Amino acid sequence: MAAPRVRVLACGNPEAGDDAAGLLAARAARSELPGVEVIELGPALRVLDLLEGVDAVVVVDAVRSGDVPGTIIAFDVGSDGFPARYRSALSSHGFGLPETIGLAGSLGPLPRIAFVGVEVGTLVAGPPGPEVERALPEMARRVVQTVHRLAEG
Amino acid sequence: MTHRTAQTPNRLIDVPSLARVEGDGALHIALDGDRITDLRLEIYEPPRFFEAFLVGRHVEEVPDIVPRICGICPVAYQMSAILGLERLFEIDPPAGTPELRRLLYLAEWIESHMLHVHLLAAPDLLGYESAIELARHERAIVERGLSLKRLGNDLMALIGGREIHPVTPRVGGFSRTPLVRELRAFEPRLEQAADDILGVADWAASLPRPSFSRPVELVSLRDGREYPVMHGDVVSSEGRRFAMDHFEDHVEEEQVPHSNALHAHLVGGGTYFLGPLSRVNLNAELLGPLAREALGRVRLQLPTLDPFASMAARVVETAQAIGEALALLRTYERGDPAPAHVEPRPGRATWITEAPRGMLYHRYGVAADGTILAARIVPPTSQNLARIEEDLRRFLPDHLDEEDAELSRLCEMVVRNYDPCISCATHFLTLDLQRSP
Repeated sequence: MAAPRVRVLACGNPEAGDDAAGLLAARAARSELPGVEVIELGPALRVLDLLEGVDAVVVVDAVRSGDVPGTIIAFDVGSDGFPARYRSALSSHGFGLPETIGLAGSLGPLPRIAFVGVEVGTLVAGPPGPEVERALPEMARRVVQTVHRLAEG
Repeated sequence: MTHRTAQTPNRLIDVPSLARVEGDGALHIALDGDRITDLRLEIYEPPRFFEAFLVGRHVEEVPDIVPRICGICPVAYQMSAILGLERLFEIDPPAGTPELRRLLYLAEWIESHMLHVHLLAAPDLLGYESAIELARHERAIVERGLSLKRLGNDLMALIGGREIHPVTPRVGGFSRTPLVRELRAFEPRLEQAADDILGVADWAASLPRPSFSRPVELVSLRDGREYPVMHGDVVSSEGRRFAMDHFEDHVEEEQVPHSNALHAHLVGGGTYFLGPLSRVNLNAELLGPLAREALGRVRLQLPTLDPFASMAARVVETAQAIGEALALLRTYERGDPAPAHVEPRPGRATWITEAPRGMLYHRYGVAADGTILAARIVPPTSQNLARIEEDLRRFLPDHLDEEDAELSRLCEMVVRNYDPCISCATHFLTLDLQRSP
């Protein structure tokens, strides 16, 4: 049996402070993930179109849940969607990641989905703040680790 | 999310976070009996500092910076900037560039309009909590809508060069143009989409919708030759007409205390209405055959001032975009892929294009070496904002008998008619801007 196909989907806005975290972490992880598709997206809704054709997906994004900025947040998305406290994940576009995955789930079977994120602080235009900047290597490491775990089936 | 404060004539309708509006917003309404004592559409999306961010950059960087203002309509931001700069520099892009730009822009209309119609507006009209619930009950409808939306995204990704914010559009043309076979590969999908959009029109016509009539000045571009996307004069339903570079002589923006966004009105007039409904009203005779068919099927009778007809207008414009995209794709020839040489000139660059939500104005002050000295960006939502509040003030008095939950749902629908993209509309005063990093 072929190894499960895993895809990495990174969401965020590269110009809105800590909201770039998902994109930056996925970029850092890319060199350690030969042969794995790493796709950078803008609005989370586009994730909907990219859940097909693979066995598992790792979604990397910024989170606003009231935690300390820079905190790594990682979990597997179960059949009931995102854990309740992360249902309103960060999105400036009304239709965020939890809603998008919920929508995909109500339309058909989902691949395995794991989430790797980081709690944000600043969202004003410019580079990420120091807390998130410091968390990026660990976030990238968790992305690589999660891809390997899902690829083992 | 609605709170009735007490069983007194005083009612407080608070919709702290508007669901299904692009960006973060809050609506506060206070009523004393039948009197509205306070009505504020608040914006608290983290402000964007893009205008300041552009100052000091080189003109050739502008097409990479401005699309990041909005993930839903990046092409609109690129095109208003690029066309304004090209006019200032008197650049003629290579043959085929205008057609390819139009195709890219129409793809953005398809993506944005189908998102709004299916995931944002339809759940309201059918009384579902969310698009997720709608999808459970009307799976085929949602799947058809999402496949239309995806077609728009995929066309944008091909022409724009990647998934996220397009990178190929440049001042002077495109850094890469698609191969003829890459673009033609979309023909079967667009043909299917031409069928599908008529099905969407029939379905949209069958949805129950409120109606609301009030006087309003409709404003859009119009060039009289083709349906307005990137060219024309600014015209209005009151007979106003002016060239796009005179925008700032005709539109005034003012800071209001309760919002980071500026409120706009016409000089010598009042608030005005931008977007698909205005474009369709003011340019109906320029619609192509597929859009005319959709217009009949969706039962949109023109002219109309009813803002609840906006969803139908989005369906008609999607049909227009699909019809035009098919024609553009069939005649596409890959011209010279290299963009024209850019020789900056000092001066003032302005342009307006029709973003999915309405007219998007850009102005740049440019130095002789191509450095940006000043930038002003006026998105459609910031122009519509004062109009949205005025709609609410007029709409509310006729619906005060409704329970708070229903009243708040109706108010959200009034706001959503404009498909506001609040994240793009946010501005800060210069004073605040200087205090922040």
